[in-house]
Amino acid sequence: MPLERLDKLATAWAIFQGLLLEAIPFLLLGVAIAGLARWAVPPGAWIDKLPKNPVLAPIIGALMGFALPACECGNVPVARRLLASGAPMGTAFGFLFAAPVLNPIVLASTWAAFPDQPWLLVARPLGAFLLAILLSLLLVQLPETQLLATALLEERRMSQPLSNVGLLQRSSGLIGASTTTTRPATNQRIKGWQMLDQSCREFLDLLALLVLGCVIAALVQTWLPRSWLLAVGGAPTASILALMLLAVVVSVCSSVDAFLALGFAAQITPGALLAFLLLGPVVDLKLAGLFTVLMRPRAIVITAISASLGVLLIGQWINLWQL
Amino acid sequence: MVLWGLTLLWSFHSGRLDLLLRGVFHSLVGVTGLLLLMVGVALLLQKGGRQERWRWPWLLSGLMGVLVLIVPPTPSFSDLASNRPQGLPDPPELAFVLPPEQRSLTEWVRYLRSQPDPDLVADNPVRISGFVWRQPEGPPLIARLTVRCCLADATPAGLAVEWPEWFTPKTNQWLAISGTMTVQRRKDRRIPVVVPSGITPIERPERPLEP
Repeated sequence: MPLERLDKLATAWAIFQGLLLEAIPFLLLGVAIAGLARWAVPPGAWIDKLPKNPVLAPIIGALMGFALPACECGNVPVARRLLASGAPMGTAFGFLFAAPVLNPIVLASTWAAFPDQPWLLVARPLGAFLLAILLSLLLVQLPETQLLATALLEERRMSQPLSNVGLLQRSSGLIGASTTTTRPATNQRIKGWQMLDQSCREFLDLLALLVLGCVIAALVQTWLPRSWLLAVGGAPTASILALMLLAVVVSVCSSVDAFLALGFAAQITPGALLAFLLLGPVVDLKLAGLFTVLMRPRAIVITAISASLGVLLIGQWINLWQL
Repeated sequence: MVLWGLTLLWSFHSGRLDLLLRGVFHSLVGVTGLLLLMVGVALLLQKGGRQERWRWPWLLSGLMGVLVLIVPPTPSFSDLASNRPQGLPDPPELAFVLPPEQRSLTEWVRYLRSQPDPDLVADNPVRISGFVWRQPEGPPLIARLTVRCCLADATPAGLAVEWPEWFTPKTNQWLAISGTMTVQRRKDRRIPVVVPSGITPIERPERPLEP
């Protein structure tokens, strides 16, 4: 193997380690919050109180991001726990897509990186909020069976009242039980050890997918020169598209992406800058694997395409307004 | 869990995080490693000798964990720098008030960005260290990488050097250079160029990435 290729492989290996080691603490934080919430507060106690209105549900979900100051890796296990507990889908997806931006740490880091650009401090959370509502409204149009990953769907069925799902849908094997609107046994508090064991399994499942995502992101980053993407910095539409691609490839956490963007903010259009800060927390290579615990491949593709179109439109509008 | 706990703790303890992440994240990785190790051991003790059903994704990621444990990162800084545009953010503090001979390479680059007239720094003494950054075209630069988060967002800061005939810079080699800042015309542009009076090969610094 030529020396140059070995050098690139060594660089990819180092980028992989950097991405992975930085993401693992946030993944653990998300899994811990999801596990503790399940242990301390039985789902039935508050899941039933969440609004089911298709517009209100994602709004509530998006605002829940303020309770979890983590990046996108940490939000996946929490969103999964919400869905498995029978929460309205709009709430869970609103949380999944908005929380990586609508949380105190990310907002503070955006402010720290761009204190002289007040428009960005408004546009980023507002754009993330609108994008989350849009994606949630779109995804809930799909039937749950086409949207949710099989294992998650089965878990969700077990948490839903029998008035909502049939016995065959639930696959519980209990024929002849009375149809009731109350939740099944998941209302009961689980034991501490049980919670710890389940959380560890969830962590290991997600970690395997995170490893996969980091491998892909590191390889693409090493072999795709970033300067190519930034070469079109001044062109309004091309710069937005290039920075969207960069956000997907770089896969850096939302809590620090503003500092990364600061490095090339002067070379690109304002719309491209916002597009980078909006798309990365929703869609990136590192997340691609993690999303498979939530959604079926078709739903992931719909999410990626819709998010990209939404961000492109927002970026274009910002360029029209700012340039 | 135990394996990943050990991997994170070893990465924290061995100092390899200096090559991968910004300093503020190091303790986070260490604490996470400790937590994973404690939870893993506690679960093993609680389960006793009961058989655990393993899943193949766990085995694959476990294999990667072992590889991370035994194969240290050895990135090519020159490769990383070549793949990134130079876009150094301004420092939070006014580092440019430092006398010229006390400025680090990144502080020099930041100062030159804020001061577009290179003639103002002509004849200033320079004492910097960095790695040799091979350019696709032209002579190599002396450079450092800055990170905000991890190696994935590393951004290069480089200075042109008038390499003396008696010295052949090798890609990725770490050097300490003392000399004088001059202004030279290259590709129809007047740019600051370091003219070395002394070049000493040095070991890679313990913390090669700068904030």
